[in-house]
Parts: sequence; structure tokens; C-alpha cells
Amino acid sequence: MYVVIGVLPFIIQNTNFHHVMVIFLIFAAVGEAWNIITGFAGQTSFGHAAFFGIGAYTSSVLFWKFKINPWAGMLAGAVLATVTAAIVSYPAFRLKGHYFAIATLAVAEIIQQLVVSWDYVEGATGISIPVVADGFLNLQFHKSKIPYFIIAYVLFGVVLLISYLVENSKLGYYLKAIRESSDAAEAMGIDHALYKLIAMMISAFLTAIFGSLYAQYILYIDPFMVFSMNISMKIVLLVVLGGIGTIMGPVIGAAILIPLSEYTRILFGGTGKGIDLIIFGMLVVLVACYQPHGIVGMLRRMSLLKVSATKGGGATHAGRNAVS
Amino acid sequence: MKRRLVVILLASVLVLSLIAGCSGGSQQQAAPKEEPKPQTIKIGAILPLTGSAASTGVKLKYAIEVAQEIINNPHPEINLPLAKDAGLPNLKGAKVEFVFADHQANPEVAKSEAERLIQNEKVVGLIGCYHSSATKPASQVAERFQIPFVAGSSSSAALTERGLKWFTRIAPNDDMETKFFFDYLKYLNEKFNAGIKTVAVVYIDNEYGVHAFQMVDKWIKEYEKDGFKVVLDVKYPTNVSNVDTEVQKIKQAKPDAIFHASYIGDMTQFVKKYKELGVVPKAVLCYCGGFQDPQFVVNLGKDADYFSGSNACTSTLFGKMDALNKINELYKKKSGVDIDGPTLEDFASAMVIADAINQAGSTDPNKILDALKTKTFDAPYFVSGKIKFGPTGQNDFSASVMVQLQNGKYEAVWPEQFKTADPKPAFPKWEAR
Amino acid sequence: MLAQVIASGILMGFIYALVAIGLTLTWGVMDIINFAHGEFLMLSMYSAFWMYTLFRTDPLLSLPLEALLIFVLGYVTYKIVIKRVADAPGLTALLATFGLSLVLRNLAQFLWTPNYRFLNQTLVTDKKLAFAGIVLGLPQVVASVGSVIMTLAVFYFVQRTRMGRAIQATALDKATAKLMGINTELVYGVTFGLSGACVGVAGALMSTFYPIHPESGALYSLLAFVIVALGGFGNIKGALQGGIIIGLAEALGGYFLGTQFKYAIVFLIYLLVIQLRPQGLFGW
Repeated sequence: MYVVIGVLPFIIQNTNFHHVMVIFLIFAAVGEAWNIITGFAGQTSFGHAAFFGIGAYTSSVLFWKFKINPWAGMLAGAVLATVTAAIVSYPAFRLKGHYFAIATLAVAEIIQQLVVSWDYVEGATGISIPVVADGFLNLQFHKSKIPYFIIAYVLFGVVLLISYLVENSKLGYYLKAIRESSDAAEAMGIDHALYKLIAMMISAFLTAIFGSLYAQYILYIDPFMVFSMNISMKIVLLVVLGGIGTIMGPVIGAAILIPLSEYTRILFGGTGKGIDLIIFGMLVVLVACYQPHGIVGMLRRMSLLKVSATKGGGATHAGRNAVS
Repeated sequence: MKRRLVVILLASVLVLSLIAGCSGGSQQQAAPKEEPKPQTIKIGAILPLTGSAASTGVKLKYAIEVAQEIINNPHPEINLPLAKDAGLPNLKGAKVEFVFADHQANPEVAKSEAERLIQNEKVVGLIGCYHSSATKPASQVAERFQIPFVAGSSSSAALTERGLKWFTRIAPNDDMETKFFFDYLKYLNEKFNAGIKTVAVVYIDNEYGVHAFQMVDKWIKEYEKDGFKVVLDVKYPTNVSNVDTEVQKIKQAKPDAIFHASYIGDMTQFVKKYKELGVVPKAVLCYCGGFQDPQFVVNLGKDADYFSGSNACTSTLFGKMDALNKINELYKKKSGVDIDGPTLEDFASAMVIADAINQAGSTDPNKILDALKTKTFDAPYFVSGKIKFGPTGQNDFSASVMVQLQNGKYEAVWPEQFKTADPKPAFPKWEAR
Repeated sequence: MLAQVIASGILMGFIYALVAIGLTLTWGVMDIINFAHGEFLMLSMYSAFWMYTLFRTDPLLSLPLEALLIFVLGYVTYKIVIKRVADAPGLTALLATFGLSLVLRNLAQFLWTPNYRFLNQTLVTDKKLAFAGIVLGLPQVVASVGSVIMTLAVFYFVQRTRMGRAIQATALDKATAKLMGINTELVYGVTFGLSGACVGVAGALMSTFYPIHPESGALYSLLAFVIVALGGFGNIKGALQGGIIIGLAEALGGYFLGTQFKYAIVFLIYLLVIQLRPQGLFGW
């Protein structure tokens, strides 16, 4: 699968397709990151746009104001997002289910409003990232999207690897134990606040990396774009659609959702009647109604995914517990 | 087992790529062949066709369709460049086709649509995007691909300050608008003894509103010597459920004049609250936004009277300007309402880019850009009568008039040579309407 | 001046509360986050608008019709969509209702254009109450009084009627309720309908002073999420008090700290309260 994604853009030489692939990789990776805290640890986050936005803003501001290399900015953004995640989520971990989810949403909305009102980073006006020469070091490519694709692809591979390692490490087992029953995990001597915190920090770190990449790719950001609830919801939706609590889920979800929204818009968006979003919405409802366990659940039922089924062990119940 | 997994995933990716490939492939086939004088010239129009600004976006689309209709079919009755014959005369009557795309008020989408239109649809020029935040990335794409971009109604001054070579803009920017507002207040004070001194700025917390406020902040220094003073600025969230607190602050400050940078939904709520709490300033001047939408009058009836704003067009000018009247007839058939300022500006952007292609006699982007930057375009639908882009790409001729609602009509009140009615320099008590 | 700010904050609070009560019912009873809640509100406002425009029926008179219409819509939504996802992993229902909200919102744009509509000649338009230097618009006063009445009615229904008790029992333990002979399917359908009826009433009341637009409901439903969590899931009293707190926080915060922060303050209040009461004000 990973190899197929890698060669696709070289087979289909179409810039719009390349664009879809880049956005797909970014959101698939962010979905994996979200999956660590919500799918594995069972803590529903509706506020991942906060980390995405912090990543996007940090690298952009550093580059724009201080000419700091975007790669360094990307790392700085990821660290900042990690610290933010630690500060805001630690006190929130004693909240259960929905209360936690709404708290993450509240945090993201507050951060958005602060950035909108912050003149130093141009507030609501947004930042146009200065255009500089093409190059890997500058993380800007104007002639082709392939370099963006390759960078997104490699980073996405790293995220997949991290997800896999987390799932199969002691941390992963602890997280799932916490997800299934927080009290039981506590009784077994697992410090659940600590492990949830680690999961949240990893998740925020990875999300911010892709926020930076997104900003470098679009070359323009404003708070309504990167901190919006739409971003948070898009992440939630694509993972749930693909199959929560599994490694393949976010990838499959993004592979369906991102091209679907792009191509329905291209085909019907010009009519000005919202037909594209009606069709898109209906498809989402249909999938939810008829494949409630996500696409991964469907594949598993077709007994094609036995391998990861044994590994995922009851992962399909993640969502239920995440919100109970 | 592992192999099976790989197979099914391969299949799913294949299906995915097929979908993508199909739409990509068909678009490539549809692209015109490389001929010097193609039969149909495509121009991309990127507009907010869904989301909270969809009501405006749809109107802009109608106006651009009217432009296409005027260009492609003989309309000898309209005194307008390109109207007389079918198609573009200098390109053997080639037809123009505007390809519409929806940016959903999202800069990411605006960028990707600009790329798609240029690369897949092979458009030779772009117009749009209404939202300045969408115009920014879209015009940067145009710059990179060296395709001319003509913005109609995006008013943020920052757009023309970026030093882009391929970008031009029709509408007066908020910088020019703000100066226009202060000059108008000065005129009211001198001619009508209005006694306007204190100004409040009420603006929405996004790039449009914030920029308008920054311009007031900049220009007030010039006008302090005329006795003007900004006493209050009220910034409100982009999505408001009520404006109670905002209006109470305004009431407390008792400004003589209020500058409004608001969209139609919030503007309507403000007017209702002004009425409820009895706020009676002498003048309310609105930046290009909600006030200019004819729905403002439909929604508020006589409560809409006495509000003013800059506008590229008003229905009372139809009697004076024949070309504008004829355009409006065509537009009204599609949309059911009279054409308004922002819509006319986007109509103008469609006409100008077609005119530039025609004058260049070619679809070569360099020649089109050359025509855009050097020629003066006839625009008999604007009070300024013409359009000419300066070195930054900004249209040097501001087409704005100050309009005031009087008895439900947008009357032109200033400058004096265009006026259709005298300005009324004070609000009456709300009960006395 | 301060009294004025507080008074209008409380008025808005009652209206928020009614929207939130609809949400808290489905959330508390069925553990389902209905993302289409705001769209139900929007449809109710459109219904009031069309009743007025086409049949000259004032929103205050067509109110029962809106309540019934959205009740039916809620019930049908349960039967067609929610039922299928009710037992699925928790966030699946969210996926379904999110899709539904997209469909409804864009269907409204498709059918009725994205124009902002406004009712300008209803029974209460432009009338106001003034006392002790406080001026209150009659549309808001009527809307909040109506909200309070509807809230009390829902409270009575859930506490006192047979159906209401069945709803409570099902909320506590569905399996046991079923064993006790409660038709849980019907209970769920009615809960969803009742939730719809709440926003049906709210929409009709709000159409007298709020612009009507395909996205009209979005902000109200976002605030409703916070109110529901603040009050405690499934708690009607909590939603009412949560609504008032949020209304006040918005008005006072906006007044003292700058109106651009008014919703940020609302979210901050939630975060602070939840630190002291992790289950919401009235949750258990």
C-alpha cells in the first residue's frame, strides 16, 4: 500500500492529482496522530486544529519575521505544540468522555481567538509566507508538486512507523488498557494520567509537523483556516470513517474522504447550489449507517484483515468507550 | 493473509486512482489544441459559491454570466466594448467561456482551484475571488504560472502592496475608501453644517474588517486637523448570535458618525439594535459589504433609510447611464434583483479581461498582461467611465460614489456631479420615521 | 448601563438554554452527539419564514406547527439514520449526524438560495419594554419567556408523565428498561422528536429577530455543546442554568474585555467550571 501511494503520482502526471495526493498524505498523517490519543488511549479530542495551527503559525512566523529556516521552524512548532498539549491536557485528563472532548474543543476555539486578535502575527489578516528560491532547504517548490509529495510521503512513513511502534510497545498496551477501563488500569498500577499525557504529546508533536508542512505548501495561512473547527472535524471524520483505533483506518479514511470532497467539488461546485456538499454529506451518512465500524470494519468482516484484527483486539469498541 | 491484505488495498487504491485519472484525463482531452487563435477562450472565475458568503458569490456568478452573454452574442443596443459583435473581433470572433470554481471561503481551496483551472482547464486568465483571503493565495498561483489575474471586488489594500506583476484589481481598496469617507464627512460639515466630530469604527474580526480599521487609524492622523476624532472601536466575532453588548458600547460613546465594516447578516442585527436602543448618529458610513446588498433594504424596509456607504453603482443611476441600465436588465432577468456595487465590479473584471485579450489580439499571457497594464479600458457602466491600472495593479479611477438610502432607494449623494439627491446629514429619531 | 448588559445577557441565556435542552436530551438519553441540531434550528426558522411570507401567519402563531414539524423531522431522523448507528462505536453516530448536517444545510441553500432573510413585520417587531433605564426588545423578551415556558413543559414531561419516566429509565439503563417492558425504540424516537420540538420552538421564536440563512443554526449549536457539557449531560435544569451562565458570560465578558473575545470567554468559563466540577454543574 505504502509503495503504491509512493509511485502513483509518477504514473498519473496531473498536477491536480498531485495536489490531492499531498493533501491526502497530510490529513492521513494527522489522522494517525489523532488516532494515538483517541483511538488507542480513548480520549476524544475535538481540538486538534490547535496543534495543527500552532505548527503552521510557528514555522511561518519564524520564517517571515526572523528568516529562520522552515525545517527548524517546523521542529520549533512541534515542540511548542507538545508543550501546549502538556499544559492544557494534563488538568483535563480527569474529565471523562464528552467533558474531555468539549474541553479540547474549547481550548482550540480560545487559541484561535487569541491568534485572531494578536497583531504581531497579523491577526485576522493572515500571513503570506515570503516566496524564496526553490529548494529542499527552503521547503518551497514552485515548479512541481512532486518534491512536496516526496517530503509529505517520507514524513507520513515516519508517522506510520511511530504509530506502529506505539501500538506494539508497552505504551500501546497501557493505553488500550486505559481505554478499556481506566479504573482497572489504575488498579493494575498503571499511572494513567502519565501515559495519556505521553500519548497526547506524541499526537500533538506529529500534528504540528504536518501543520508546518501544510503552511509551507499553501504559502498563506490565516487563523480561520488552520485553527478552524473544520480542521478538527475533518480529522475526526476521516479516522472514524476509515476505522478508529487501527493503523490502517486513518489512511483508508483519508484516501476516501479527501479525493471525494475534492472531486465532488470540482464536478459540481461551480453550480453555486451546494450540490457537491449535498452529495458528499449523503455519502458520509450512508457509510456511517451501513458500515458503522468504518471501512476497516468492513474489510475485517470480509475476513481480509485478520492479521490486524488479532492485533487490534477489540479496537472497534474504542469509540464507544471513548465517549462513555 | 498478508498478501490478501495487500491485494485488497491495491485494488482500493486502484479504484481511487481511476476516479482521479478519469476526471484528470477527460479534462486534458477537453483542453484546446495549441492553435494561435482558438475558438473558445477559457477564463477561470473563483467564487465563494457555498458557505456563509454564498449569497454574494452566486450573484457575482450571475453578473459574470451576463458579461459572457454580452461578449459572445451581438448586443448592438449596449454601448460597450465587445458588445456589438459576437465574440472577440480581434480573434476572429472567438468565444469566451468563464469556468466557475467554488473556493468555499477557504484559502487552501482557492489555491488548488487556481492551479486546477490553469493546468487542467487551460484558462488564460483568472478573476475572483471576493474574499481577500482567498484572492491572496489564488493570485500567487497566477503569478507563479504567469497568468493575468483581475480581481473585481476584493478590497483589502494589502493585495496590491505585494509587488505582484500579474495582479490587477478593479475595486477601490479600503485605503481609498477610508479617505473617501473622511472627505465626505468634511463635505457634510462644510456644506450642511452637520457638525460631525466624533467617529466610531464598528468592524468584523476578519481580514476585511481589521484592515478597514487599520486604514481609519492611518487616515485619522491626516484629518485630526479637521476636528475628527475616533472615540470608539468595536470589533466583533465573525459569527455573532447577538450584538447587544456591541451596541450598548456604541450607545454609551455617542459618536457622531459610525464607520461600519460588516456583512449583511450582522449589519441587519446592528440596525435592529440601533433602533431598539435608540442610537441616532448623524451618519453611518458602510464599507463595501452588507449595506450594498439590496437584500438590506428588503430585510429592513424603512429602517434601512439614512444609512450610507460607498458603492460602485446604484439603481438611481440607471436612468442617467444607459449602458448600466441595459446591463442591469440582463442581470435582473437572471437574479431577480438589481445589480449592486460589488457585483458590478466583478462584472467589470470579466469585461476587462476579455477586452484585454481582444486588444492583445492573442491568448499569449504576456501580451494580455501588456494590454492590461498599458491600455485604458472603457467602462461606461462606472461613474468614472474608464479603468486604468497603475504600476501596482490598482485601478487608478475610483468608481465609488457615496450613496444614501432614502425612501428605500440607494440615492447617489456625493460627489456633487453624480448626485441624484441631496444627502441627509442627520438621523431622525427612530420613532419619527 | 451594567444592568442593561446583564438583562440582555440573561434574555439571550434563556434562548441558548432552550436550544441546549434539545441537545442535552439526545445526548443524555442516547449518548449521541447530534451535529445536525443547529440545522434543525435553521429549518425551523425557515419554516416560520415561509409561513409568514406565503400565508401571512405570524411566527408566534405558526409556532406549534414548527414544533410539530421538527418533532416529526427528529423522529424520522431517528428511524432512518440514528437507529442504524445507535449501537455502533460512539463516534460513528457523530459521523452520521455530521453528514446529515451537511445535507440539510446545503439543501436549504439549494432550495431557498443563500440569501439572508429577515422578518420585519411580525407581531413583536420593533416593540420594546423600558423600565428603570433598561430597554429590552420585545422580540427577545417574548423569545425568552417562550423558552422558559417550553423548558418547564419539557421538564414536566420528563419528570411527570409516563413517557417521560420511560425516557429516564431508558437513559439510566437501556437493557433493564427493555426487560421491564418499555418500548425503547419508541422512547428513543420520541426523545429525538422532543429534542427537535425544542429547537422547533426556539427557531420560531428566534425568527422574529435573527437573520435566517442556511448557516444560521451553526453558532447556536456550538454554544449548545458547551452549555450541555457545562450543565451536565442529560440534565435539563443544568442546561437551563448553563444557558444563563453562558449568556451572562458572553454579555459581561464582551462588555469588559472587548466584544471580539465574547465567545472565547464562554469557552474559558467552561474550562474553569469543569476544573471545579468535572461532571458539569449538575451531572452525576
